[in-house]
Amino acid sequence: MGPLIQQGIINPEWNSIIAFVIGISFGFILEQAGFSTARKIVGVFYGYDMTVLRVFLTAVVTASIGLLYFNYLGWIDLDLIYINPTFIWSAIVGGVLVGLGMIVGGYCPGTSFAAAAIGKIDGIVFIGGLFIGVFFYGETYNWLFKDLHEAGNLGAITMYNLLGISSGALEFFFILFAILLFWMTIVITKKFSNKLLKY
Amino acid sequence: MEARNTIRKRYYFVTGILFLLALGLLLLPHRKNVKELSPEDLLVSISTSDRFYSPENVARLIISGDPSIQLIDVRTAEEFAAYSLPKAINIPLANILDKDKKGNYVWQDVLNQDIKTNIIYSNGTVYANQAWMLISRMNFKNNYVLKGGLNAFFENIIKAKAPLASAPQSEIDLYSFRKAVAMYFGGGGSISTATTDAKSGDGTPVVKKKKEAKSGGGC
Repeated sequence: MGPLIQQGIINPEWNSIIAFVIGISFGFILEQAGFSTARKIVGVFYGYDMTVLRVFLTAVVTASIGLLYFNYLGWIDLDLIYINPTFIWSAIVGGVLVGLGMIVGGYCPGTSFAAAAIGKIDGIVFIGGLFIGVFFYGETYNWLFKDLHEAGNLGAITMYNLLGISSGALEFFFILFAILLFWMTIVITKKFSNKLLKY
Repeated sequence: MEARNTIRKRYYFVTGILFLLALGLLLLPHRKNVKELSPEDLLVSISTSDRFYSPENVARLIISGDPSIQLIDVRTAEEFAAYSLPKAINIPLANILDKDKKGNYVWQDVLNQDIKTNIIYSNGTVYANQAWMLISRMNFKNNYVLKGGLNAFFENIIKAKAPLASAPQSEIDLYSFRKAVAMYFGGGGSISTATTDAKSGDGTPVVKKKKEAKSGGGC
């Protein structure tokens, strides 16, 4: 049946309306999970609050289990899902930069908009920085970032193809890893709870 | 303390559920998504006659030895053994969607390709059309049908009737082309029956590459 748009069940013109509804829901859930607070997000890096890790891991595990079972039941055709091509070097450099930005600024791009929406000044400043960064990247792309951006194109690879195992087997190990991580977050939070910041 | 224990219990519960779901994914067999043609597209392609190759065209391609065509005989192995067009391979209609142990289509390599043009034929058009519809629905590419089947091939070409002397030149040219083709197939009015020795014992289809049709005469 799915993906609904590729299969022609939903008109592609609905794309932006669906994106709008999903975006609003996403922001709402970010706010509900407390992600519009910079302290909550940097808590992962200092070890006193692991909510971010748990929420995102829950989201990834839920979505991937859902997709694989839906695929098995024929409700969605995983072969029709668009997979972003992997540019390995820009992914590594970009990942490190985003990580640093999250520690320094206390937000990731999505949560900064959630914070700005409820009137957080630091969130608004963060968005300002985001635009400056985008502008700088765009203006200097040709002579600073072009080579890095285009290097190491691995195509639309998936982990299970790379490892030569079935998607179900990879998901099995990923879920085991996630369960382990969930329990570790409890231990870590307990260990650092004496440094718990009251806010 | 009470609240902490309840939370703990919930964590154990969620862990258990996650583990069960993970185990399920590990044990479920891999599902291959086959992109079938949508009913609308299939209807459209059935209602057009794009899929047909005329007997003359097929004859021309066979004689010129065009390497890009692949004739596919969907009649039974017995009929195929009795007579078939040169270089045709036999995939009986009943076996056309056979799968191997891994669940892959046995004939997919032949029927779904972008290098050769498959021309499917049977005695008439009905079975060839059925075969064409089955594989078109599987979204296999480059498959066509010999219009009228072997019957039309013989009626039109091998047993071609001479046109009236007053017929237009194009008709006379067509007739002489048909006569030439008939000579090539060793006919000139009669249906030749090439015999093949290979016969599949257990009923499974066997790809049989036919020998080149021998040219008549000699020194």
